[in-house]
Amino acid sequence: MASNILSIGKSALAAAQAGLATTGHNIANASTPGYSRQVVVQSAVQPQDFGYGFVGQGTQISAVKRVYSDFLSRQVVAAQSSKSELDSYYAQIRQINNLLADPSTGLAPAVQEFFNGLHDLASNPSSIASRQVVLAAGEALADRFQLLAGRIDETHRGVNSAITSSIHAINSYAQQIAQVNRAIEQAAGSQGNPPNDLLDQRDRLVSDLSKEIKVTVIKQDGGAYNVIVANGLPLVVGGQSSALEAGVSPSDPTRVETHYVSNGVTTALGDQSLVGGRLGGLVEFRANTLDTVQNSIGRIAIGLASSFNSQHRLGQDIDGNLGSDFFTVGTPLVSASSANAGNANISAAIADATMLTASDYKLVHEGGNYVLTRLEDGVTQTFASLPQTVDGVALSLSSGAPANGDQFLIRPVATGASSFALAVQDTARIAGASPIRSGPVPGNTGTAKISPGVVDAAYLVAGTPLPVVVSYDAGSNTLTGFPAGMPVTVSVAGASTTFPAGTPVSYTDGAEIAFGGIGVQITGIPGNGDRFAISANQAAVGDNRNALLLANLQSANTLARGTATYEGAFAQLVSLVGSKTRELGVTSAGAGTMLSEAVEAQQAESGVNLDEEATNLLRYQQAYQAAGKVIQIANEVFESLLQLNK
Amino acid sequence: MRISTSSLYDSGVARITDLQSSLARIQQQLATGQRVLTPADDPAAAAQALDVKQSLALNHQLASNRASGRAVLNQVEGALSSASDIVENAKALVVRAGNASLDDQQRGFIAIELRGALDDLLALANAKDGAGNYLFAGYQTGTQPYVRTATGALYNGDDGERMIQVQPAQQLAVSATGRAVFEGGGQDMFRTLSDVISVLETPVGSPAASAALTAGLANANGKLDKALDNVLTVRASVGSRLKQLDALDSAGGALAEQYRETLGVLQDVDYAEAISELSKQQLTLEAAQQSFLRLTSLSLFNYLS
Repeated sequence: MASNILSIGKSALAAAQAGLATTGHNIANASTPGYSRQVVVQSAVQPQDFGYGFVGQGTQISAVKRVYSDFLSRQVVAAQSSKSELDSYYAQIRQINNLLADPSTGLAPAVQEFFNGLHDLASNPSSIASRQVVLAAGEALADRFQLLAGRIDETHRGVNSAITSSIHAINSYAQQIAQVNRAIEQAAGSQGNPPNDLLDQRDRLVSDLSKEIKVTVIKQDGGAYNVIVANGLPLVVGGQSSALEAGVSPSDPTRVETHYVSNGVTTALGDQSLVGGRLGGLVEFRANTLDTVQNSIGRIAIGLASSFNSQHRLGQDIDGNLGSDFFTVGTPLVSASSANAGNANISAAIADATMLTASDYKLVHEGGNYVLTRLEDGVTQTFASLPQTVDGVALSLSSGAPANGDQFLIRPVATGASSFALAVQDTARIAGASPIRSGPVPGNTGTAKISPGVVDAAYLVAGTPLPVVVSYDAGSNTLTGFPAGMPVTVSVAGASTTFPAGTPVSYTDGAEIAFGGIGVQITGIPGNGDRFAISANQAAVGDNRNALLLANLQSANTLARGTATYEGAFAQLVSLVGSKTRELGVTSAGAGTMLSEAVEAQQAESGVNLDEEATNLLRYQQAYQAAGKVIQIANEVFESLLQLNK
Repeated sequence: MRISTSSLYDSGVARITDLQSSLARIQQQLATGQRVLTPADDPAAAAQALDVKQSLALNHQLASNRASGRAVLNQVEGALSSASDIVENAKALVVRAGNASLDDQQRGFIAIELRGALDDLLALANAKDGAGNYLFAGYQTGTQPYVRTATGALYNGDDGERMIQVQPAQQLAVSATGRAVFEGGGQDMFRTLSDVISVLETPVGSPAASAALTAGLANANGKLDKALDNVLTVRASVGSRLKQLDALDSAGGALAEQYRETLGVLQDVDYAEAISELSKQQLTLEAAQQSFLRLTSLSLFNYLS
């Protein structure tokens, strides 16, 4: 009987020791991330029937288990994934948000300065200093576009390397989870008890993985985790892991994309399938914000350069030559997919900068047709053949032939900002004057006046011989003397009449008279035989008419189908990025709250409370002391038995 | 409910960090005076502020355009004022030359004076602005507009008037061509003066010559009247344009004031509100810090000895 008491005491002592050790382990890991508190599960040993009844046999430890809830942990993992997706998007977009708004990097001040320079040139057309200011401000504007393009490019490269590093992290976590799966299988296999700390370690790895990409965990019968990513791709199956790979986009060699490698087969993963986590945030930022920003700024650059060049070519420089291009204009990027079977070369050129959108396009050759998709809104157009002009971009087949299914990515404005440069280096080449001037020939008797005259794009190709001297015949009320071979169009209040070349032109007071790209207006009552001359504008160093037209382009709606000014389009972009940044700031804070609530709930269940452990410490200490007392008593009982013999 | 000790620390730290970052934001707003620090703070206001800034800058540029236009018009006005003096003076000389008591020699002196007037007028017509550009040459400001000939002067300029942008949708001419000033109304001043000088330099020895003199002087007198009228008309137009510039300046000033006000509403921080927010947040932070300290200093381990 006494030996029985001794063994009961011994079992109590062992249980108290295990309790103390587990409590100590909990205290030691109170701050260990991912640690779940452990508890000793104790039960009474089967009692022994002594005939008069069952006598207890002491205690035993049935298990040391961790306090863990699958449900709460899954919530944490899901919240973790969306929080880090939003965080990574937010961190990236904030940089763009700051870039656009900062007066030292934003576009608005540089555009303003440039057009201010043109106004000053219009006020002092012959001043070399004013011309120098225009060139310097043009250079500064080009620098600003370059700076923005450079920062966007830098961000692109940053996204590429962040995607690569995220993929490395995912692979490393996948391998570790597979390893721990194996370790758990072995540990559990030998004893049948749950290896708590290994389980914690695996859950911790899953949680870390979920920070990189959204994961789905399926628990196998044996307890191993299967980890699924990106719409059903198995990343970890038991002790085996597959890998993601940072690969190059088939249609854009500067773009890192995610590939999935399994059994030696590589599959490219679309942006849509990569959701959640840092990787999801990066991919979404690149597709939805970075490309849009790059294209929007590119479109402003191309729109500004094109409209400015068109007007500049209609002007005359200080030496009497017609203006040349003032800025260099970016050209569309076309890249054929590396998977194409045909040898077609598609080329794209800007036909009308006003019509450009800020979108990229995908051209696919399908069933003998060309299917063009505008990526920003998914609108498709089908053409039987090329060339075609869509949204201001002229597409043509420059050589070869496409095979069925061949794909081409067309980015009309992507290089707009990086290609924007000043093409004029000499102050004398600024075309601030108009190439024509007009006036009455001295000796006129009437009171009629002729307007200074304007030229349009037709003037550049018409080769109108100057001077043109028209004279008025009072008898027939007509004007004659227009250049041979050129029809004359007369417009009054929007209604126009075209007079065939060589015929007298009826005179109407105030009508617009147009021929060979020249437009003039004669007002008043001319005398019989009065003449008006339209001549080449030689030595016109004081003429500022083209400078004024150039300066006024600032407030002209030249972009987005004639709905936006340069600065208006930029303001739209600032507002777009600002709204998205704000939205992300709010949703990321919301996701933060969700996450901390989920973590708190999970910690409430599984976390260590030191006060609780302190009471456990006391509990097990006392249990230990009491067990010791039991042994002491057993000993004393035995002693008293031995005393009987003396 | 159970609470884990590390949650206690984590949430305490998170709350304090949040409060610190919102304090830093208010501090930044106060330090810059700006409510909208980045477009994300108020995307609509940020975009609108860009528009208003553009309008403000354009308004400023238009004011500078008007200032340079005014400078040119003032020079033109000065030259026109001198021109009208010269013409009036020439007219007085012509009237004086009509006095029958004058002899050939005395008429010769008047002719010399008129020759001086012709020179002065020619110099005026070839006047340059401060930057060395001819004022009355039309577009060809680098070419001398008038060249002396035997019978007056020949105009080498053109009919171009320089316009400047004075309003977003309005241009104003700030120059006058030589043809408009000196040959306006069909009267070539140089020709008129040159003609009357040769009339006065012709000796009067016969009744026919005397009649020619009288006719010549009367003709010149009439033409000078018309020329004077023309110069005064051009002057009046220049004067009215100067007045127009003044009116546009004051309108532009008022507009700039409005733009600044709008910009202030869009961007500027409300100091009273921001400072009260600052004190509130500061108080909350202090409370959070103190309560964190109190809470974390409570531990059963303190009583285990």
